[in-house]
Amino acid sequence: MRTRHPFTLLTLAAALPTLAWLLPAPAGALGTAAVAFGLAAAAGVRRVLIPVVTAAPFWLFLFVLHDLPTTLAIGLRITTMVASFVWLAAVLAPDRLVEAMVVRGWSVTVAYLFAATLSAVPLFRARARRIVEAQRCRGLSPRGSVANRLRALRALAMPLLLSALHEVDERALALETRGLRSGARRTPLAPPPDPALERAARWVVLLVCIAALVARLV
Amino acid sequence: MNPLALEGVEFHYPATETPALRDVSLAVAAGEIVALVGRVGAGASTLLLVAADLAPRITGGRLTGAVRRRARSGIVLPTPWTQLSGMAFTVWDEVAFGPANLGWPGREIARHVERALERLEIAALAERDPATLSGGEVQRVILAGILAMDPDVVLLDEPSTELDPAGARALWRLVRVLAGEGKAIVVATSDLDAVPDVADRVAWLEQGAVRALGTPDLLAEEATCAAGLGTTVARVWRAAGLDAPYPLTVADAVQRWR
Repeated sequence: MRTRHPFTLLTLAAALPTLAWLLPAPAGALGTAAVAFGLAAAAGVRRVLIPVVTAAPFWLFLFVLHDLPTTLAIGLRITTMVASFVWLAAVLAPDRLVEAMVVRGWSVTVAYLFAATLSAVPLFRARARRIVEAQRCRGLSPRGSVANRLRALRALAMPLLLSALHEVDERALALETRGLRSGARRTPLAPPPDPALERAARWVVLLVCIAALVARLV
Repeated sequence: MNPLALEGVEFHYPATETPALRDVSLAVAAGEIVALVGRVGAGASTLLLVAADLAPRITGGRLTGAVRRRARSGIVLPTPWTQLSGMAFTVWDEVAFGPANLGWPGREIARHVERALERLEIAALAERDPATLSGGEVQRVILAGILAMDPDVVLLDEPSTELDPAGARALWRLVRVLAGEGKAIVVATSDLDAVPDVADRVAWLEQGAVRALGTPDLLAEEATCAAGLGTTVARVWRAAGLDAPYPLTVADAVQRWR
């Protein structure tokens, strides 16, 4: 999947949640969730756990607030959204996305913002891991009682936030000096191939979404 | 005509009363290397940001005085990790990030990237993922990325901090070569022992102002040594209670002993 054109990956990742909300529940949402989970599993078995863990609180609240059919319908839709994003973050290389967008005439700044959003998750996770390790070296344990865990969370959150803000400042300077806003049209270094079959597949997915919308409205 | 000139520059960061730079005047000629020395917070990094047209344009704040730039500049910041584009999965692409943003033709980009990689002795890393490199390697990649953009004014902020001694020596040799090609270079460094062999002039910054400007001999004067800004040889000579003027380098000291 990683070799597919970035727009194909984006289309699929956007289409799954769209269809989850448009198709009749719970069968439609179940189908889209299954596809999203299948894709996430194909990108790495552990990735299946992320949407499960992320969507769990939503399921809990839905279960408390609604009846079973509504819980199933909304829960599956939210799960599809999360699983699709997790899959997209796993398979979409930010540099390929920038190249693809630049080839299509997008401004490199807009393309960079889009791609940076996708790459922020793994960067944040790596930074959080480093901070936790550093705090452990100073004797803070993120395990044990709830109070302990809350203390550890506070010790993680502040440095994570402050270092992220500091890095944003420095990165802005670095990108500026490396010509991100030079005003010139960026030269694509290795534009990802966009076979006719993939282009056609994107149109088909789009038409399916439009058909689902029409069917929903009629 | 100097490619870079600052006249009476004063700069305040946003929401600060104390200026980070005070009445700074400095002109750098093509082919010249000026070293900025000073204690932490003396204003060297800020001066480079102003010279690179990043302060106040990107950082915010207010600037008075005149800054004349007659050529394109490139700046290497002191923390290499934050300078990676995050958009490249190979060192080659990382180095090409800047030239590509300038819209150069592909062949020209390739030529400049290959040359920069060779100059920094990192051609062997071309296919590596930048995220897997050591601090010193990232430092070289970032410098290569700036050199690949072929700036006429090169601004370096502590460029040798992540490098091992051999890497630092190679870097300083490269800086001299770049000056030989006509680039104007301003380098803020705490590697004071390298300065006499590298710099043509030294600017001593203190609390945002240029306290002294002169040849590298400045680093062997009583005032700089007293401020902890002399070369190791000069400071040892002074600490031993030997007479001024202090020798600047080991070679000077040996000559003095004879």
